[in-house]
Amino acid sequence: MIKWKAVALLLGLMLLAPFGVAAPVCVTDDQGEELCLDHPAKRIATLSPGATELAFAAGAGDKVVAVVNYSDYPEAALKLPLVGNHTRIDLEALLALKPDLVITWRTGNPPAQMEMLRALGLPMFAIEPRTFEGVSKVIEQLSTLAGTEQEGFAEAERFRKGIAEIAEQYRDAEPVPVFYQVWQTPLMTINDNHLIGKVIQLCGGVNVFGDMPRLVPRISAEVVLEADPHAIITGSVEGIEDNQLDRWKSYTGMTAVANKNLFFVPASPISRPTPRLLEASRDICQRLDVARERE
Amino acid sequence: MTRSLLVLGAISLAALIFALAIGSVNIAPSELWKVIQGEGSALHRTLLLDLRLPRTLAAFATGGLLAVAGALMQVLLRNPLADPYVLGLSGGAAVGALLAMLTGMGAFVISGSAFAGAMLAMVLVFGLAHGTGSWTASRLLLTGVVVAAGWGAVITLMLAVTPSYKLPGMLYWLMGDVSYARTPWPALVVLIFAIAVILPLARNLNVLARGPMQAAALGVSVRPLEWTIYVLASLLTATAVTTAGSIGFVGLIVPHMLRLVLGNDQRIILPASALAGGTLLVLADTLARTVIAPEQLPVGVITALLGVPTFLYLLHRSR
Amino acid sequence: MSTLHTRDLIINVPGRTDGFPLNLSVEPGQTWGVLGPNGAGKTTLLHTLAGLLPARSGRVVLSDSPLIALKRRDIARQLGLVFQERQDSFPATVMETALIGRHPWLSPWESEQADDQIRAQQALVAMDVDHLSGRLLSTLSGGERQRVAIATLMTQNPDIWLLDEPTNHLDLHHQVKVMSLLKNQSAAGKAVFMCLHDLNLAARWCSHVLLLYPNGDACWGPADSMLKPSALEQLYNQKLVTVEADGAPVFVPVSSG
Repeated sequence: MIKWKAVALLLGLMLLAPFGVAAPVCVTDDQGEELCLDHPAKRIATLSPGATELAFAAGAGDKVVAVVNYSDYPEAALKLPLVGNHTRIDLEALLALKPDLVITWRTGNPPAQMEMLRALGLPMFAIEPRTFEGVSKVIEQLSTLAGTEQEGFAEAERFRKGIAEIAEQYRDAEPVPVFYQVWQTPLMTINDNHLIGKVIQLCGGVNVFGDMPRLVPRISAEVVLEADPHAIITGSVEGIEDNQLDRWKSYTGMTAVANKNLFFVPASPISRPTPRLLEASRDICQRLDVARERE
Repeated sequence: MTRSLLVLGAISLAALIFALAIGSVNIAPSELWKVIQGEGSALHRTLLLDLRLPRTLAAFATGGLLAVAGALMQVLLRNPLADPYVLGLSGGAAVGALLAMLTGMGAFVISGSAFAGAMLAMVLVFGLAHGTGSWTASRLLLTGVVVAAGWGAVITLMLAVTPSYKLPGMLYWLMGDVSYARTPWPALVVLIFAIAVILPLARNLNVLARGPMQAAALGVSVRPLEWTIYVLASLLTATAVTTAGSIGFVGLIVPHMLRLVLGNDQRIILPASALAGGTLLVLADTLARTVIAPEQLPVGVITALLGVPTFLYLLHRSR
Repeated sequence: MSTLHTRDLIINVPGRTDGFPLNLSVEPGQTWGVLGPNGAGKTTLLHTLAGLLPARSGRVVLSDSPLIALKRRDIARQLGLVFQERQDSFPATVMETALIGRHPWLSPWESEQADDQIRAQQALVAMDVDHLSGRLLSTLSGGERQRVAIATLMTQNPDIWLLDEPTNHLDLHHQVKVMSLLKNQSAAGKAVFMCLHDLNLAARWCSHVLLLYPNGDACWGPADSMLKPSALEQLYNQKLVTVEADGAPVFVPVSSG
């Protein structure tokens, strides 16, 4: 005698399974540390603007309950409760929002406060992607932690494909020496280990300071003049031209200045390790194409 | 005069309770009482016992340490403008802490390094000021000021070469931040120990304040006493700076304000400084973490904003 | 009753060769006046006797114990000093300053008792500054501060009183008042040893005199044998005319020719 009731129950359970029956989830971060949650996170705190974007990209946007200053993308994030600055978290406000997962910025958040949160038993996941693959991986990991694998993995794949396309498109492009200005005073740039450096490489650009030992070197105007880049790029609000590159205009002997290759791109997408790097890359590549035309 | 101490004690207690109740999440006194009794919600328990209580006690201890150190420095150097940092102690501690941060060390090493830096500064200034023969107050002061400037140069250098992402942490340390304090107990123990040691010497300090020759003529062993004050003040300052970075203003202004109100008897001024300094820093820290929450301000800004008008008012009112 | 003796004491005046070794005996009932021009080392001598400066050679003996062997507090119970110059110090009231004199008598945990307060009050009264008792020292005139300093010594009440030019800044009335108070104190058993600028005060009030010469020479003894015009003229490098007034000699400086 087949117990129809039992079969029905079993079938029902199997059908219901994808709908959030609690199961433990585990991921390993880029330092090899494993984090296991008893069940996918329901209340996520993101302690950097990049982490906020990545959480949304992973499909977990509706689970984010606490963000820090400048979490301005996507627009929905603007409405979320603030818990301070990424350099100084209001721990009380954070705890009051009862997160069950905290996404931290490995080098950006204050170590003392992170230790305190750890000591209080909060599950912490530290991220700091340094490559495009790293970005995809983080999106996948966050979606696993949040139980939104479907959306997350799809977004990660979209990003991978997009980057691969650009890579293919510019594989044989004419190399353009580029100087990327991160900050005006003090004068700062990035090396090839930085994501921005990788974007430049992707577009067939050659970062004139790519070999510098520090990730964010502080340099002088002299070495820039010596390197004579063919294009100078900096980030600005929404890519609108401002005065950050004015100081180069007087050096008319520089190739970049002579060819009028002083470019502005939107600052946020290129500075954050998020899927918006795709648009940022397209921007940069387009600018470098302009520079190539003017050679 | 013990009445003033009792009044100060009551104010301190009120400040402590206020600080425990106020925050990004306000906890009503009835809730506070529940938590103390072992009940209360889990969130309140965590907030109170793991965050606010250690932080508030650390603030109290640090404020007390700085104020007592300031009072001692002012007697030692016979200069009402002396503060605990005038002899370069905070500079040495800062170099130690920043060096540890630069090399990526953990919180414990940072604290230890800060303390070691302060002690090194103490020995350095003492040794340099000695010269041929013994040291005078003015020689000590001059040596200390120059050494402090030296530390300042080293700090500036370190800030200039540190990678950008490490800067905010360093700046917050330099500005003073009670949230750094992992545990209040070392600071509290040092404060209580110092008060216990200094109270029997307090009348000697009154006499010393009349001038070293006069003090010697009245039976004070001046050199050993000055040496004791120097070491004690250094220990207090080193502990304070190790706990919460270099918080300014408290060590200079609190003993001053108290002298305007209570007179010059060190037997009153020293314990009163501990209480008043502690209270000031507790209130300042409470404001620092709530006034523009969730943004967190450095507590040194608040101590100045609170202290300056209060001091000016007292100055105006005094004889 | 404490006594102060020096054994072949040579004080250390920087840059000067050894002076004449001093063998003084300052006993209860005596009022010593130390005379000499500026730079003779009067203040240095006083500070050396109080143990604040090291001697170049020789010893100071306080009641049979060498000074260097004694603790500061024990010294302060027997010997007190009024300085010539006020030092930079923290603000304090007149009463607080006088009370400080009780310090050598109180143990670390003791607070000033009622009789300490009374002593200080009496001292202030004797010095005519009790009406200023609540005022800050810095708001007083030079003369008033001088009187407070002497009141502090009175409160300390040691057996041996050392004073460096105690009549500085004082008006005539208070000069006389202070000198007669000192005379009374020594009559009551204290030993008073003071540097004086005005040799006429020594002539009128002192029982013993020490003459300190700028080159280090010294002589001492009972006042009348020391206050000889020839010795004094040599001491001050100044011609003097002696006059008698009210039973004591008065020395008047006159220009020569």
